[in-house]
Amino acid sequence: MSEPDVPAVQEASLWERALPPVIFLVVALFLWEGAVRWLAIPKWLLPAPSAIVERFFKLRNLWLHTGLTVMEAASGFTLSAVLGIALAAGIAHSRFLERGVFPYVVVSNAIPIIAIIPLLTIWFGFGYAPKIMIAAIISFFPIVTNTTRGFKSADPRMLDFMRSINATRWQVFTKVQFPSALPFIFAAFRIASSLSLVGAVVAEFYGSDRGLGYLVITSATQLQTDLLFVSIAVLAVLGVSCFTLFGRVERAYSAWQAEQGYQR
Amino acid sequence: MPQQLALGLIPGPPTGPCIRLQDVGVTFRTPRASVEAVADVSLEIGEGEFLALLGPTGCGKSTLLRVIGDLTVPTRGAVEVRGGPAHAARQRNEFGFVFQEPALLPWRSAVENVRLPLEVVNYPPERRTARCEELLKLVGLLGFKDGYPHELSGGMKQRVAIVRALAWGPSILMMDEPFSALDELTRNRLQEDLLGLWAVEHKTIVFVTHNIGEAVYLADRVVVMSPRPGRIAAVLPVALPRPRQPELRDTIEFLEHVHAAREALGS
Repeated sequence: MSEPDVPAVQEASLWERALPPVIFLVVALFLWEGAVRWLAIPKWLLPAPSAIVERFFKLRNLWLHTGLTVMEAASGFTLSAVLGIALAAGIAHSRFLERGVFPYVVVSNAIPIIAIIPLLTIWFGFGYAPKIMIAAIISFFPIVTNTTRGFKSADPRMLDFMRSINATRWQVFTKVQFPSALPFIFAAFRIASSLSLVGAVVAEFYGSDRGLGYLVITSATQLQTDLLFVSIAVLAVLGVSCFTLFGRVERAYSAWQAEQGYQR
Repeated sequence: MPQQLALGLIPGPPTGPCIRLQDVGVTFRTPRASVEAVADVSLEIGEGEFLALLGPTGCGKSTLLRVIGDLTVPTRGAVEVRGGPAHAARQRNEFGFVFQEPALLPWRSAVENVRLPLEVVNYPPERRTARCEELLKLVGLLGFKDGYPHELSGGMKQRVAIVRALAWGPSILMMDEPFSALDELTRNRLQEDLLGLWAVEHKTIVFVTHNIGEAVYLADRVVVMSPRPGRIAAVLPVALPRPRQPELRDTIEFLEHVHAAREALGS
């Protein structure tokens, strides 16, 4: 009857976790390369992986474009994080602010972001400003909603205790509400950082002469499909990096929540 | 009158009761209905007294506790603590609250959780750590002071919550079913710990419970409440000697008190 005490979930090693996706990637690239060569698919329709890698190493200013897009996304994200957390703190403390502002936060999320780009371009021109704003707007909603939820997640008994010792609002906020919200904030950052990247790239589609979005659009119109693939690959790496980075921060911080069935 | 044996010295001159409730009533209003949670409660609690509020779930005993501690404002009547209004006593940090759930901050270790109120009430910074460790030692948790709540058992967490409520030296300990989420063995151990702490720290204790044996074992007086709306059904002095030992639970006198409380609950 008795069974040995085996932990329910065994932590897989890095090797065990990394190997399967690598195998799939290698097989897919191999098939892709073979298909392009055997079927003689034209380069503008589908370049072989080897051709894409070759183009990648020949590109001179790829890092310039990448750096610019990352700068726009990071600026927009930072702007959004600062304003979003401040607004969420306000909403969590004031019923009036919640009722007055929250509907418009929802509306801002409902408007397709692409429809706003031309307007911002009319107002702010073709420079970085509208790109940063789009990156900020697109990442604003998840930050505000998650953070608000985080501030409200504070244990009501703990709030009672703070009240019973006559704690100030600021003490309640810094010692209880803000730390309670941190896991929610990190989860929001994970989503919002990748979204801000999307925002910056989409904004670059419309009226710009540099950046990864510009690279995507021009390579597509000129049928430089290998360059298009390079751009997409760089964007994929950037997006995954954001997700992993904030995912790690989040997990490191909320280790204590494992007990409460907090699953990732 | 309840026996005040083995209370030790009561700090300060005993000038009248510690807490006085006069015709207190609480009505909660929702958009659809209003619920009368507490009605016509008049009660005096002495300095250094251990008072139990006993009653079934939903009889308003927790609401009454919150009214005394100024966490809920009464709809009617008056609450006086040491001759002044309850909110003044709260502002003087006279209440130490313990709830049914430990409600510790999960990102703070045991000692940091005990230190939290000291950071709020302006306790001298250089004495904070020593005070926390002294208290954790009293409940046998000094070895776990750097443990985080998820690493502690339910009983340990509730011990931390109790000494957190004593840390800055409040004169009134407010306990809202503090042991009802624990298993019976742990509960009995914590009752012993609480009586031990009370012998050292001399507090007025208001203890809410739905456990008859617990109320009788701990308290000087048991206030039995009846539900809907919460009213005082009976006030039973507990004439059992102190210090109280676990063997007391098997005596005829103890069982007679339990019987009397059960009768009062049933009426």
